[in-house]
Amino acid sequence: MQGDQQAYDRGTSIFSPDGRLYQVEYAREAVERGSPSVGVRTAEGVVLAARRRVRSSLMDPASVEKLHQVDDHLGVASAGNAADARKLVAFARETAQRDRLTYDESMGVETLTKEVADHVQEYTQTGGARPFGTALLVGGVTGAGIDGSGDGRPVLYETDPSGTPSAWDAAAVGRDSGVIREFLEAEYTAGLDLDSGVDLALEALAAPDEATFAPADVAVATIRVEESAGYRDLPAEERRAALDSLGLLGDDGQQAS
Amino acid sequence: MPNPNPQPAHGSPNRGGATLNEEPELTKTGTTTVALAASDGAVVMADRRASAGGRFVTSKDTRKIEQVHPAGAVALSGAVGEIQAYTRRLAAQADQYEVRRGDPPTMHAFATFAGNLLRSGQFRMVRPLLAGVDADGSHVYGMDGAGGVTEVPYDAKGSGTQFALGVLEREYRPDLTVADATPAAARAVESAIERDTASGNGVTVARISTDGVTIDAHDDPAELYEGAPSAEGTDGVNSSEETDGANPSEEVA
Repeated sequence: MQGDQQAYDRGTSIFSPDGRLYQVEYAREAVERGSPSVGVRTAEGVVLAARRRVRSSLMDPASVEKLHQVDDHLGVASAGNAADARKLVAFARETAQRDRLTYDESMGVETLTKEVADHVQEYTQTGGARPFGTALLVGGVTGAGIDGSGDGRPVLYETDPSGTPSAWDAAAVGRDSGVIREFLEAEYTAGLDLDSGVDLALEALAAPDEATFAPADVAVATIRVEESAGYRDLPAEERRAALDSLGLLGDDGQQAS
Repeated sequence: MPNPNPQPAHGSPNRGGATLNEEPELTKTGTTTVALAASDGAVVMADRRASAGGRFVTSKDTRKIEQVHPAGAVALSGAVGEIQAYTRRLAAQADQYEVRRGDPPTMHAFATFAGNLLRSGQFRMVRPLLAGVDADGSHVYGMDGAGGVTEVPYDAKGSGTQFALGVLEREYRPDLTVADATPAAARAVESAIERDTASGNGVTVARISTDGVTIDAHDDPAELYEGAPSAEGTDGVNSSEETDGANPSEEVA
């Protein structure tokens, strides 16, 4: 028989005497152990970027999914349990399409994030359930219109394992997110162009350990406000060029982190 | 382009003895509704008669237009119970959208939802005309029983459709203001009232702008066009409509 303290670890729906939900806090730990993702809001759109952990030279780096397109003008960057992230992304994609069917318009970032966050919250209050061990950065264009022709604005949100949404100019989730956030707080300026946003995101990913990256070690996507642009994954040559210009390009064969 | 587009009818609960496909759906509902998109807003108008099969007048003061959006109103013909339920659903959805998302839905989004609601099969006997104003301007949407949603500059629904549309074809111009479109709508509904036995007893008018919706009732449609020039410079059709005498202009907004 273990001590009473341990009992509060067990069920997600059981508060500790000091009002804490230990399972949710442990889920946050799972997020902190995941490789980091960052998001940056610029005047031209939102940048999402992530460090990929490629465990072996035999592994296809593209199969390490950190960034996920959700709709034409919506994307998600994840940190933490990758399998949990996939389930949330699937939920987000279905939700975005259902909204299109209902209203024939592109779903807003706030609205989508809150639907996802409400879904996450259910797993902190339901008996027998386990919270999602994943935090998401949801970036995109709100008011994009059905075909991207709307008068949209870039928006960046975060959701955590408790199911709390929050809006950011620039945000980080995952390992060393505190250090990355300090870097972003120091370096972020409003009204950046998109390329500067990509540079800032890559520098932020390198900030904790002054890492250098091979193109395969990072994933970068942009969601542009500009008409009919939307979500786009940056191909390897563009990631290489960006890393090179920032002096962050490391050996191709070697993992920098 | 308005397109009355008659479709095969299904059975009407209001017509005992009527066989299937006896008449086109176009004239099945007893009512005349019209809507026009104007340069500074939109106008929706309907007659006030409710009837059993178009032969017995069951109400002389029926309101067939409701505000369902901060800057949108719907005019409905069809079965009264379904009209009331459909209207409540629309209004609730617009409220919920605005509370959750900060802004009311665009008219396109709202019309899409309204069409989907028709497609659900819960509302077989409603023929809505939706009009409203959003950041893109003013809009009118005509809907059919299968959930088809068509944006048009002006349209008419109900048993008086042909009479009303005939007048609107003459009266409508793209540069009409709400002040101009109101007499045009009144002439159109009045024309239907003159010849359609299922339409009558004055009109309800909704005037829609970015500021909102005001709804008024008039026992005589002529009150809305007297003194206003028509498209051809005449006073339009000659009214012989009897009035109830009470409430010449009832403010119900």
